[in-house]
Amino acid sequence: MFELFFKYPMAVFSRGTFVFLGGWPKWALIAAILVAAAGFGLLVRRMTAERGRVHGARSVAVWLLQTALASILLLMLWHPALSVATLRPQQNIVAVVVDDSASMATRDADGSSRREAAERVLNSGLIDSLQKKFQVRLYRLSDHLERIQKLDQLNSSGQSTHIGDSLKEVLADASSLPIGAVVLLSDGADNSGGIDLETISEIRRQRIPIHTIGFGREKMARDVELTDVQAPQRALPDSRLAVQVSFHQHGYAGQTAKITLKDGNKVLATRSVVMKADGVEQTESILFNAGTAGVKTIEASIDPLPNEENVKNNQLIRLVNVDKRTALVLYMEGEPRWEFKFLKRAVEDDRNLHLLTILRTTQNKIYVQDEHNDVPKLKDGFPTRVEDLFQFDGLIIGSSEAAYFTSNQQQFIHDFVDRRGGGLLFLGGKDALADGGYKQSALNDLLPVILPDRKGTFVRAPANVELTNAGRDSLITRIEEDPQKNAEKWRKMPYILNFQDPGQPKPGAVVLMDGLPLQGGRFPLLITENYGRGRTAVFATGGSWRGWQMQMPVSDMTHEMFYTQLLRWLVNDTPRRVVASTPRQVLEDEAKVKLRAQVFGATYLPASDATVEAHILGPEGIAETVEMRPDPVEPGVFTSEYTTPKAGSYLVEMTAKRAGEDLGRDTLTFRREDGVAENFKVEQNRELLEKLAQETGGRYYTPAEARKLGEDISYSDAGITVRETRDLWDMPAVFLLLLMLRSGEWLLRRKWGVI
Amino acid sequence: MRVRSVFLLVVAGFATWGVLRAQRPFQQYQTAEEHAEYSIPSDAYETHEWTRARLAYPSIMAPHGYPDGYKRWTIDYPRSDRLLLKGIKRLTRIDARSVEQVVFLDGSDDVYNWPLMYAVEVGYWNLTDEMAAQLREYLLRGGFFMCDDFHGTIEWENFMNSMRKVFPDRPVVDIDNKDPIFHVIYDLDDRFQVAGAQYLMTGRRYEYDGYEAKWRGIYDDKGRLMVVICHNMDLGDAWEWSDDPRYPEKWASLAYRIACNYFMYDLSH
Repeated sequence: MFELFFKYPMAVFSRGTFVFLGGWPKWALIAAILVAAAGFGLLVRRMTAERGRVHGARSVAVWLLQTALASILLLMLWHPALSVATLRPQQNIVAVVVDDSASMATRDADGSSRREAAERVLNSGLIDSLQKKFQVRLYRLSDHLERIQKLDQLNSSGQSTHIGDSLKEVLADASSLPIGAVVLLSDGADNSGGIDLETISEIRRQRIPIHTIGFGREKMARDVELTDVQAPQRALPDSRLAVQVSFHQHGYAGQTAKITLKDGNKVLATRSVVMKADGVEQTESILFNAGTAGVKTIEASIDPLPNEENVKNNQLIRLVNVDKRTALVLYMEGEPRWEFKFLKRAVEDDRNLHLLTILRTTQNKIYVQDEHNDVPKLKDGFPTRVEDLFQFDGLIIGSSEAAYFTSNQQQFIHDFVDRRGGGLLFLGGKDALADGGYKQSALNDLLPVILPDRKGTFVRAPANVELTNAGRDSLITRIEEDPQKNAEKWRKMPYILNFQDPGQPKPGAVVLMDGLPLQGGRFPLLITENYGRGRTAVFATGGSWRGWQMQMPVSDMTHEMFYTQLLRWLVNDTPRRVVASTPRQVLEDEAKVKLRAQVFGATYLPASDATVEAHILGPEGIAETVEMRPDPVEPGVFTSEYTTPKAGSYLVEMTAKRAGEDLGRDTLTFRREDGVAENFKVEQNRELLEKLAQETGGRYYTPAEARKLGEDISYSDAGITVRETRDLWDMPAVFLLLLMLRSGEWLLRRKWGVI
Repeated sequence: MRVRSVFLLVVAGFATWGVLRAQRPFQQYQTAEEHAEYSIPSDAYETHEWTRARLAYPSIMAPHGYPDGYKRWTIDYPRSDRLLLKGIKRLTRIDARSVEQVVFLDGSDDVYNWPLMYAVEVGYWNLTDEMAAQLREYLLRGGFFMCDDFHGTIEWENFMNSMRKVFPDRPVVDIDNKDPIFHVIYDLDDRFQVAGAQYLMTGRRYEYDGYEAKWRGIYDDKGRLMVVICHNMDLGDAWEWSDDPRYPEKWASLAYRIACNYFMYDLSH
């Protein structure tokens, strides 16, 4: 239809540039149009004056129509044309790239596979029409590009689809071959996270248009697909963990799905959820216990639903490394009080938390309890050397005035959170927070609240508690599994004995629990915040023991769970001196893994001069050592890339040394899974294919439109081209427009009776 | 508007009643010993971080075969309490209330508001099964119980009659010198029998057949003392008579040190 009116295919207009072939200058055209417009203006005015029946808006309409008619005629006299680069016949190569990944074996509505549909498109004239003008090179694409001679070499066996990487290989060929265009036949189901900007830029630089032909349904009729599972990479044993399971579905809106978390054959948790509208991304949180130390292979799955078309995309695997370590927490308490006693009791059964306490018993005596072999003796009280304080993972400051700490110690505490990445908890008390002079101290920055400017903020009066919205989602305050029941439990808890007005939460701080004094009002009771590399919190009371421990039956574990979870939050992400990490712990049909280590000295300054090695143990006895290289940008960071030879689980131990000193070690695990990626995103990713074509000067075609490709593909700036001009004056659309203008004026005049 | 005001008043009334019911305010009771009377300090009604409770219990009538009609739990009360608390405030960083809190094992939740409880003359106490059950619950939740001023075999047996109702299976043991309770503030390896005020009249340090001071206790499952038993001594008298020049200073001093250590032990274990 387009060519019927405009004589040439759309590609000529999109790729060509507009030129005038007539010898006259352009300004003369503009002048002629202006003269014509003025002339018609005078004519219309005279006509108005003589006949009096064409006036006002009618005279303007007549003038416009006549001027437009004259302008088009004048434009044609200047001989307009399109200058377009076209590929020289038989001198260029067209690369035909066919997606040969497993997702192309998916059968769609007509019962044939996507690969068969692609073969049908190529065999029904497209290849022939291309071969008439160009040399055609056939490629198949999966996780790499491979040249093939015939279409029957396609078998949809590729375990993943890396369109970007494959196109880069085509570009590499283009540096030595006159490739004029690329035709990509694919469902767009890329497993590498899309095509990066670098690849797009390279294609544009070489000006090779990529024409895409999309196969497959754009939307499944009945399917649930897990799109992501977010789980913490590390945890302490017996931690309560939250896994965020994201999914979307088509055809099951309003129905119930069952999400299951498993470690091997052991079911860790299940949850039934009601599914949202079709295509809407839905994220659900599921809690489970991390259990004993070791690597946990957590499989999140959604039970198959009736008549579901693809059940292979219903599960995903993540790894959780449960560290066998004991986190050290130092609790500095300035006042003998029952909150101190009951806090210690609350966490004493947690084998992975070691609470070392300093209690000021009299004006000149302290009482140190539960010292640990990993830290120096604290007979003189709070650490006076930064490296001693940095041995701890967490710190609690109770009812102890800020002035008790020297300015050096205050700076150490600041650095403990900011640089070392430790967790710091402030408790309420008569010598705490604003009443303890923290507003004027160097520790004020660390607080997640803006302390009041007054004293007397500690009140010995009862208060009930209530979870905020953030508190309902938080693991710190989760006593009951069910969020609703949990919020209700907190609401009904007996009151706490005292509270402290902590002021207003700072921007970025999160209030998890509000206090509701029986005398009226509301204040933030439990506030958390990330600060520097660490985290801080305020629990603005010294009287939780009353409501949550002594007033509850012996069997109730609320107080124990609350403080255990709060302290675990405090220390769980506190880094060691060597921190090993990888961006993805599960490689889905990928072989390469990026390894990263952050290395610090005793005072947690980056140790850029360290020697770091990664010792890798893999399946079937694989044992290799990889030297990590210092990152040129980030001090103390070492990176490396390792290619996994086989699928399976890998264990990496990274060791860091400096001048004979052992800086530490850390382990990480990852897993390579083959034959998984192509089970996901099996719908046609039309958006990706359209964008790829648009960004490179090509066009997206449906299989039905593909026959036009043979003509369109000739217009390209790549390869060996010749520049051609195409006349525009004889386009049917031009004559049609002239006819419409003239007949329009005639019809108007007839209507007005001025013919 | 009037209806709303009435409603708010009723709600406020219930709230106040609820608070008072849950945590009873200070109240002074009649003492059985006239010489133990003591004025109520001006700050008696102020709230503080820490309060020492005194257990009011029912007593048996005649453990030694002669009539005994007065309230045993009020012996030394309140003079002993008030002087002791002055000492605690002066010698430690405990923010202590100036007056004691009398508590009852009456089935209400009030006793759980006061995690440290002291009882005197427990050689005469007579807990019912319900009281014993509540004391057991109190201790297992984290409460601490100190008893004192009972002497000899007969009073011990009577004490144990009720204590066995509280903990039928937990043994009463002598506290080892190395236990932190004797070292948390003061190192109290060298302890001796602290005689009651009767010494001033009789010159005898012991009462009945209680010749030797016994420092005993009951431990919980985590190895912490939750009951401390001062048998064959009278710390209550030592606190009560500590400002009397006739009463030996070394006994009063030890009594205060014992109290400081016991209370600090409770707050730190």
